[in-house]
Amino acid sequence: MLPIVSITVFLPLLGALLIMVLRRPPPGVVHAIGITTSGLTLLGGVLMWLRGVNDSGFAQVEQIDWMPSIGAAYRVGVDGISLPLVLLSALLFFITFIYSAKLRERAPAFVVLMLLLETTAIGTFTALDGILFYVFFEISLVSMYFMIAGWGHEDRQRAALMFFIYTFLGSLPLLLAILGLYLGSDPHTFDMRAWIDNPPLAGAAAMWALVAMLFTFAVKTPVFPLHTWLPAAHVQAPTAGSVILAGVMLKFGTYGLVRFSLQMTPDAFHEAGIVILTFGVIAALYGAFAALAQSDLKRLIAYTSVNHMGYVIVGVAIAGLALDPTVRTIALDGAVLQMVSHGLVTSALFLLVGMLQDRAHTREMDQFGGLLQLTPVLGWSFMLAAFASLGLPGLAHFPAEFQIFLATLQVEPMAVIAILGIVITAGLYLKAISQVFLGEANDRWSDMKDLNRREILALAPLLILIIVVGIAPSWVLDIIHKTTAALQF
Amino acid sequence: MNLIFATILAPLAAAMLILLLRRIPEVFALSGATIGLLASLALLADTSAGVSHEIQLPGLPNLPLSLVATPLTALLSGLVAIIGGLVVVYAIGYMKRDDEKVRFFATMLLFVAAMQTLVLAGDWILLLAAWELIGLASYLLIGFWFQRPGVRSAATRAFLYTRSADLGLYIGVFILIADAGSSNITTTLNTGGGAATAAGLLLLVAAMGKSAQTPLHDWLQRAMAGPTPVSALLHSATLVAAGAILLIRTAPMLPDQVLLVIGIVGGITTLVTGLIALGESDLKRTLAASTSSQYGLMLVAVGAGVPLAALLHLLAHAFIKSSLFLGAGVFQHSRDSTAFSELHGAGRDRPWIFFGFAVAALALTGIPPLSGFFSKDAIIAAALASSYAPLFTTLVLASTLLTGAYMARSLRILWQGNTAHHNITGLAWMGAALACLVILAAILGAAFPAIEAMFSDPLPANNVAMMLGLVAAVVGLTLGWFVPAQHLLGPLRPWSQRSFAIAGGFNTWMVRPALAIARSCERLERALYNRVLALGQLGLSLGQAVRLGDERGIDGLIFSLVRGVTSLGSRARRLQSGLIHRELVITVVVTTLIFATLLISILTF
Repeated sequence: MLPIVSITVFLPLLGALLIMVLRRPPPGVVHAIGITTSGLTLLGGVLMWLRGVNDSGFAQVEQIDWMPSIGAAYRVGVDGISLPLVLLSALLFFITFIYSAKLRERAPAFVVLMLLLETTAIGTFTALDGILFYVFFEISLVSMYFMIAGWGHEDRQRAALMFFIYTFLGSLPLLLAILGLYLGSDPHTFDMRAWIDNPPLAGAAAMWALVAMLFTFAVKTPVFPLHTWLPAAHVQAPTAGSVILAGVMLKFGTYGLVRFSLQMTPDAFHEAGIVILTFGVIAALYGAFAALAQSDLKRLIAYTSVNHMGYVIVGVAIAGLALDPTVRTIALDGAVLQMVSHGLVTSALFLLVGMLQDRAHTREMDQFGGLLQLTPVLGWSFMLAAFASLGLPGLAHFPAEFQIFLATLQVEPMAVIAILGIVITAGLYLKAISQVFLGEANDRWSDMKDLNRREILALAPLLILIIVVGIAPSWVLDIIHKTTAALQF
Repeated sequence: MNLIFATILAPLAAAMLILLLRRIPEVFALSGATIGLLASLALLADTSAGVSHEIQLPGLPNLPLSLVATPLTALLSGLVAIIGGLVVVYAIGYMKRDDEKVRFFATMLLFVAAMQTLVLAGDWILLLAAWELIGLASYLLIGFWFQRPGVRSAATRAFLYTRSADLGLYIGVFILIADAGSSNITTTLNTGGGAATAAGLLLLVAAMGKSAQTPLHDWLQRAMAGPTPVSALLHSATLVAAGAILLIRTAPMLPDQVLLVIGIVGGITTLVTGLIALGESDLKRTLAASTSSQYGLMLVAVGAGVPLAALLHLLAHAFIKSSLFLGAGVFQHSRDSTAFSELHGAGRDRPWIFFGFAVAALALTGIPPLSGFFSKDAIIAAALASSYAPLFTTLVLASTLLTGAYMARSLRILWQGNTAHHNITGLAWMGAALACLVILAAILGAAFPAIEAMFSDPLPANNVAMMLGLVAAVVGLTLGWFVPAQHLLGPLRPWSQRSFAIAGGFNTWMVRPALAIARSCERLERALYNRVLALGQLGLSLGQAVRLGDERGIDGLIFSLVRGVTSLGSRARRLQSGLIHRELVITVVVTTLIFATLLISILTF
C-alpha cells in the first residue's frame, strides 16, 4: 500500500524544493507549481479520508525507525480527531494558493514558504512521535514569522516580532512536558500512542506537565490573556497568511489540547478542568466583546476567532470534566467539529476582507456603505460567512456549538453563560453588515468591481462546505465520533 | 414522495430555482407555493383521518432529526401553506414595479419553507434550527429595501431582539434534552419537576421575543419597514406565530406556576400593545401593535390551561391579520404612505377593498358570525373557567374593547375624507388574494367544530362569555368610531406613543451595557498590548546591556560568534536586519519572567 500519509505530508516540501532548484522561475510557473502541489496534497488528504479511521486508536500508521536508542521514530497516522484537520489544512492551503496566484512580489519565496508551512501543518496533525510533533510545530512558527514580516502590511515588523516571541517562548514549556512524558514512560519512548494508551505521568508530575502544555497551547489557541499577538499578527499579515494562521495554525493549540493535555494527562486534566473551563468561558466572552468594539473589519474577525476558539476550549474542558461517557463524547464531537467549522468560516471571512481591502485599500467599516448594491457577490458571500460565524443553524458552526453547549449544561450549568457570546457575535456581525453593505451606496466606491473568477474560485469551495457541514454534519461527525466514542480516560 | 418532504421541499426548491435561473420568479414562486399547499392539505386530510406521518433524518450522533405530521402540526402546516400561497399571489401584483423580484420571491419562499419545517419539526434541534432560520429570512425580508433610510436598523433590531430571546429556547432545549436523554419533542413533554419549570420559563422568554410580547414588543412595529406582503406573512401565520405555537405545543408539559406567568405576560401585553395600537398614527404600525395584542390573548388562553382556544384564535387571527395587511397594502399603493394623515378617505377610493378590510376588522373585534367571534369567545370562556378567572377575564375583555376601539378608529379614518383616485398596477392579483383571505377570515368559524373534534379535550363553553365578549366588542367599536383616540387614551397617550418603552427600552438595557463592556475590553486590550510591548522593550534593552557587557568583558571568540550569527541572520533575511538574535535574547528573558510568574502563581495556589 502506498504510504499516503507520508506522501501527503512531504509533497509540499517536494514542491518547495523544486522551486528552489529552478533558477529564477517566472511567477506564473511558481504559482503553477504551488497550485499543483497543494492540489495533489489535497488529493492525498481526500484519499486518506476515503481510507478512513479505525474504531479505536490510530489508522494508516506509517513508521520508520529513527533513533531507536531513545525510542524516537518517524511515526505518522491519523484518527478521527486529526483526519478532519488534515483535510481542512490541505483544502485551505489549496485555496490560498489559488487566491494568491496574482502575487508578483517575491513570488518564489512566498510559495516556498507557503509550501513549507503546509508540510509542517499537515505534519503537526499527523505526527505520532513526540519529537516529530515538536519539530513540525516549531518550524511552522518560523515560516509564519517570515510570511508576516515579508508580505505583511505597514506595521508588520512589530507584529511579526510579537508573534514570534509569544509563540516561540510559548512552545518551550511543551518541550519540557514532552521530555517529562518521555522520562515517565517505561520503557522510554517518544511514541505518542504509548503515551495515550498508558499515561506515563501521575500526580504532581502530571499536573506540572499539564500546566506546561496548557501554557503552550493557550498561547497558540489563543486564550485570554495570552492572545494579544493574534489581532496584531492578523491585522498586519497578508490575506494568505491570515487564512492559514486562523484556519490552520490556531488549531495547533486546540488539537494539542486534546491530543496531549486531555489524552496524555487525563487525570490531571480532570482535576484542573474547572480552571480550563473558566479560561475557555472568559476567552469566548472576552473575544466577543472585544470584537464588538472594533472598527477595523479584519481586527473584528480576528477577535471572533478568540471567541470561537474559546468554545473549543470549553468543549474540551467539559469532555475532561464529564463523568458520563455519552456527555463526554458530545462535548468532544462538538469541539473537534468546531475546529473544522472555524477553519472554513473564518478563512472565508478573511478572504472576503482581503478582497475588500484589495479594492478599497481600507478596512475601516465606517468608510463603506451600501456595497451590497455595487458588489452583490462579495456582499452576499460575506453575509453567508458572517451568519455562519454567528452560529446560524444550517451553517457550519451550529452543529458544533450546539453540541458543546448541550454537554456544558449537563456538566457545569453555570458555564452555559458562554452562550451569551452568540448574541454578541450576532450584534457585531449585523453591525458590520449594516455599516459596510447596507444603506445608501457611497459614491466613493461607485466603480468598485465585483469578485472576479479567481476570487470566486477560491471562495466557492469554502462557502459550499459551510452549507454542507451545516446541513449534513454527519459525514464529518461520523469520522470524529468513531474516535471520540472509543476514547478511554 | 413523502408528503412532509413535499410540503417543505416544494417552496425550498422553488426558492433555489429562482436564485439559480433568475427568470420568471413569479411562476416558480406560485408553483412552489401551490405544490406545497397541495401536499400540506393532503397531509391534513391524512392526519384528520387518523394516519400520521413521520420522517427520521440523520442529525447529530444519537440525536436524529425528525418531522412529524400530527393533527396539530398538519393543521398549522396547512395554515402556513394557505397564507403563504395567497400572499405570494398578492405579492405578484404588489411587487410589479419592483426590479428585485428575484431576491424577493426567493426569500419569501425560503421563509415559507423554514416555517413549514418549524411547524412540522418533531425534534428540538430541527425546531431550533427552523426557529433561527425564520429569524434570518425575516431579517432579509424586513431589510429588503436596504438602501432606504431606517430600514437597516429595523432589520438589525428585529434579528437581535429575537436572537437575544432565543437564548431562552437554546437553554430550555438543552435542559429538556438533558433531562429526557432524547431530542424528540413528544418524549420531552413528559418532563416534570424543576426541569419542566425552568425549561417552561425559558421557552416563554423565547416565545416573548418571537411573538413580540411586552417588554420585547418594540421590534415588531419597526419591522413595518419591509414590503407589505412581508408584513402580512410575518404577522399572521409565520414569524410571530412561532412563539405561540411553541407554547401551544409544550402546554402539556408546563407546570401551573409557569402557566400563570404565561397568562400574566399575555395579559399585560394584550393591554399595553392594545393601547399602543389605539394611539398610533400609522395604519401598518397600528396593525403591528394589534398583532402583539392578539398574541397576548393567545398566551392568556394557554395560561388559562386551554391551548386549543389559543390555537383557534391563532388560526382566525392569521387569516384576519393577513387580510388587514393586504388591504393596507392597497391603500398604501394608492396614497404612497401608510400614515393615517395621508389615508383619509382612502377606503372610499376602493370600496371593495375597504369592504374586505372592514369585514376583517369586524372579525378581529369578534362580531358574529365572523371567525374572530368564535375564537375570542373560546378565550373568554377559558379565562372564566380558569383558577384566576377575575384577573384573566378582565384583561381579555379590556383587550377586546381596545380591539374594537382601534379598528373602528382605523375604519373611520379610511372612510371619512376626500377621495383621490390613483391607478394601481397589479390590483387584480392583490384583489384576488385579498378576497380569498377575507372569505376565509369570515367563514373559518364554521370549521372550528371539525378542528375541535381533531383534539380530544373539549373547549369550555359559556353563554356568559359570549355575551360579555359581544358587549365589549360593540362598546369598543362605538367608542372608537365616535370618540377621538386622544380622549380615549387620556393620560396614557404619551406612554402609548413611546411604545411603553421602560426607561429607553432595548437600547438602555441591552445595547448600551454591551457596548460599554466592549469598550472596556478594548481598553484592557490596549493595556495588555502595551504591557507586552513594554516587556519586549525591557527584554531588548536587557539584551543590549548584556551584549555590551559581553563585548567588553568576554574575548573575541564569543564576540565573533555573535557577529557571525548576526550576519547569518541578516543574510538569510535581509529584511530582518539582525533582529533575530535580539529576539532570542528577549525570548530567554521573557520566558524566565513568565516561568517565574507561573511558578509563583502555582506555588501560591
